[in-house]
Amino acid sequence: MNDDTLDPLIHVPTRLKIVATLAALPEGDTLSFTRLQDMIGLTPGNLIIHLRKLEDADYINSEKTRNGTVSITTVALTSQGRAALGAYTRALRDLLGGDLLGAL
Amino acid sequence: MNPTPDAIASGNEGTMSPQQAAALLDQATHEARRKIEPSPAWLLTTRAVAVLAALGAIWLSVRGQHPYQGPTAADIPVLIAFIVVNFAATVAVRMRATAGIRGRTQLHPADIVVLVLSWVAVVVIVAALAAAHTNLAFYPTSVLIVPGLAWAAIGAGRKVWRRFGVGLAVAVVGVAGLFAGPAGSWAVGGVGLCAVLLGAAAAVAWSHRS
Repeated sequence: MNDDTLDPLIHVPTRLKIVATLAALPEGDTLSFTRLQDMIGLTPGNLIIHLRKLEDADYINSEKTRNGTVSITTVALTSQGRAALGAYTRALRDLLGGDLLGAL
Repeated sequence: MNPTPDAIASGNEGTMSPQQAAALLDQATHEARRKIEPSPAWLLTTRAVAVLAALGAIWLSVRGQHPYQGPTAADIPVLIAFIVVNFAATVAVRMRATAGIRGRTQLHPADIVVLVLSWVAVVVIVAALAAAHTNLAFYPTSVLIVPGLAWAAIGAGRKVWRRFGVGLAVAVVGVAGLFAGPAGSWAVGGVGLCAVLLGAAAAVAWSHRS
């Protein structure tokens, strides 16, 4: 087994952090774009690029709501995204055997 | 490996070794869980110690009363200070942790209404019991039953089972105190709520490790 078994969409540091962060929310909960940006520590432009890639693969969905003059974008992991992270974690576990850290 | 800004901007930062990925996944998961936890273990543990100290101090001052007359004038500021600090710290930590989150993690306006109504119900019930000259009105843990059940109902409604468990446990402490006499009820309340909060802290710590 080699690194090719790891989902290339998730196997990028920033996107792995994004997916792991969204997976920490209870299923069905959403996170605002600004809070996610604050938690990951990325510029808005960079975050948008990564979110778009994940959204194109249906790993996340985003929703824009308007509250008066303020528009809020929220992001959530889809069930497909959660399953992809699960598969990615299992693939990592298989690659590393017993040499794994706590969260896995 | 440190990717260049251009690589980050294009969404292609390069790859990681499986070891690096596992470490990053572990770190990101723990950090996210810690940041969004509305009731962190440290806060629950602090509240557990505080409730044991506050209610324990009152129990020490009332346990020798025959007949029971209730907390002394010196105890009341301790109790009020405990309630105010506890409430303020809990709300502040919860608001900070759940900022930007929508869904089950957040308390909904309907949940807050249910909680407020449960405390209104407590006032009405205690007043009615006092008017009927029933001793139960003077048992401190009797005020825990209705809000505890309300919290459990909110947890069950939102399928947040830890909230359900804590609410039910608080209600059980409230009922248990009714069997300890008015003075002993303070001790049951202190020990019981301390145990509930420590249990919740352990559950939070465990869920973050798994």
